[in-house]
Amino acid sequence: MSANRQEILKKVNDVFIEVVDNEEVVFDETTQASDIDEWDSLTHIQFVVGIEKFFKIRFTSKEIQSWNNVGEMISAISEKI
Amino acid sequence: MIFNSVTFLCFFISFFIFYWFVFNKNLKTQNLLLLSGSFIFYGWSDWRILFFLIAVIAFNFWMGIAIEKTKSETIKKQLIFLAMLQGIGGLAFFKYYNFFISSLNHSLEFIGISSNAQTLNILVPLGISFFTFKTISYILDISKGKINATTDWIVFSNYVSFFPSLLSGPIDKSIKFVPQLEKKRVFNYDFATDGLRQILWGFFKKVLIANNCAILVSEIFDNYSQLPASSLFIGAFLYAIQIYADFSGYSDIAIGIAKLLGFSISKNFDFPFFSQNIAEYWRKWHISLTSWVTEYVFIPLSIYFRDYNKIGLFLAIMINLLVVGIWHGANWTFVLYGFVHGLLFIPLIINGTMLKRKKIDKNKFLPTAMEFYNMSKTFLIIMLTMIIFRASTITDAFLFYNRLVSVSIFTVPVIDLSALVITLFYTALMFFIEWICRFKEHGLQIDSINNKYFRWSIYLTIIFSSIVFGVFTENQFIYFKF
Repeated sequence: MSANRQEILKKVNDVFIEVVDNEEVVFDETTQASDIDEWDSLTHIQFVVGIEKFFKIRFTSKEIQSWNNVGEMISAISEKI
Repeated sequence: MIFNSVTFLCFFISFFIFYWFVFNKNLKTQNLLLLSGSFIFYGWSDWRILFFLIAVIAFNFWMGIAIEKTKSETIKKQLIFLAMLQGIGGLAFFKYYNFFISSLNHSLEFIGISSNAQTLNILVPLGISFFTFKTISYILDISKGKINATTDWIVFSNYVSFFPSLLSGPIDKSIKFVPQLEKKRVFNYDFATDGLRQILWGFFKKVLIANNCAILVSEIFDNYSQLPASSLFIGAFLYAIQIYADFSGYSDIAIGIAKLLGFSISKNFDFPFFSQNIAEYWRKWHISLTSWVTEYVFIPLSIYFRDYNKIGLFLAIMINLLVVGIWHGANWTFVLYGFVHGLLFIPLIINGTMLKRKKIDKNKFLPTAMEFYNMSKTFLIIMLTMIIFRASTITDAFLFYNRLVSVSIFTVPVIDLSALVITLFYTALMFFIEWICRFKEHGLQIDSINNKYFRWSIYLTIIFSSIVFGVFTENQFIYFKF
């Protein structure tokens, strides 16, 4: 994993922790929503909103519903920043 | 054909023998037998509705293939539109046409215009809300590239018409169900035994709890204008128990029967009355419907409204719950029920607790005082809103509330006391057993009890109690009408 992807992963992880208020959550690129109890559809939307605000980017509706894991989300972020 | 009938028992025993001992060699013939069984089951009460089901299956089968095959985006959109028109249009016509016409007539009369629009005498196909949601999700998932259209018409027909879940769900997604139809099924003793336990638990809840509640509830709701508030309060309490025991009981039977046939279908209830707030309740009540609506209504809406922060979230939740409400039927009471539940989310949205989930300590048996308080408060709120769900009209619901809020709440209730005591005793027993099994798949998943004599004493207690105190005349399940 490149340094840039690692930085994005850490920031993405921080945003998620802030959304769910649980500091124990640790992401890696293979993490999926089903791996984390708090990660339901509602959390997902709030999480995306948090990422959009943090990175000052905008995802399409299709993109938001297409990621299968954190790695795919990081790829989408790195394409936009 | 309903599960708690001798007809179904005879049907299922003979079906089971053919399914596992005659047609088990070849998957295609086993699937064909399953389809025949589903059609017999569905057409048993009225064969005419079978033609509608077959037409819906054939249309969506070909639509799925056509949507996947077409290279033109324009044609694809047109095909999706046609498929949605059939699904939503079919529901609108069969379930809501008369409601729309009578509401229109009332509105026009209110502003002084006479209307000649006539309602129709429509034969509503049983389970239409359930199988339509299956076909809609199938088409939408193909259009989004989540699944491939199946080219096996027997598999697709079985997905839509699978008899254990055809009339009242759970509403399974094809992504989980179709692969099970395409794979050879092998009889699994443990899986089937667990299915039998779940069926037993479902019958216990239906025959003993729901049906006993139904008698008392009918007496109270039918005569509420002559009864003291204390009786009305008990009526509202018992109705909440009745609808839970009835529908979760039905779901347990459906899931158990599916297990006997080697299928794993969606969980529909996750002990919702142990929820600590309204958001948790909706994650645990009629899960297959709420997850469907979440995926196809709530998520697109909340993405669309995401720039409006908490107001956007509230709007998405409100529309979502209005859809859930109106899904139950053509009555303003269901719309109001959804609306009130939407409003109940406001405090959770404002204080941000919707996203926060407390860590669950699975080793702890008793809830804390705060957890117990939250559970009781949530149950009380749900119980009071279910008065709207039960009432024939909104006016009736408000009259019931009006009478409920009076000093007669402190008087001795007018009710059949011996029937109430039996019902309350078994309700308490149901909740006690479900509390023990609250982290399990269903209320009677007691395979971890190694002592078989103890296990069998529980089964026999349930069977004996159901035979002695159960009510076998209230056969219909509440959710059949939805």
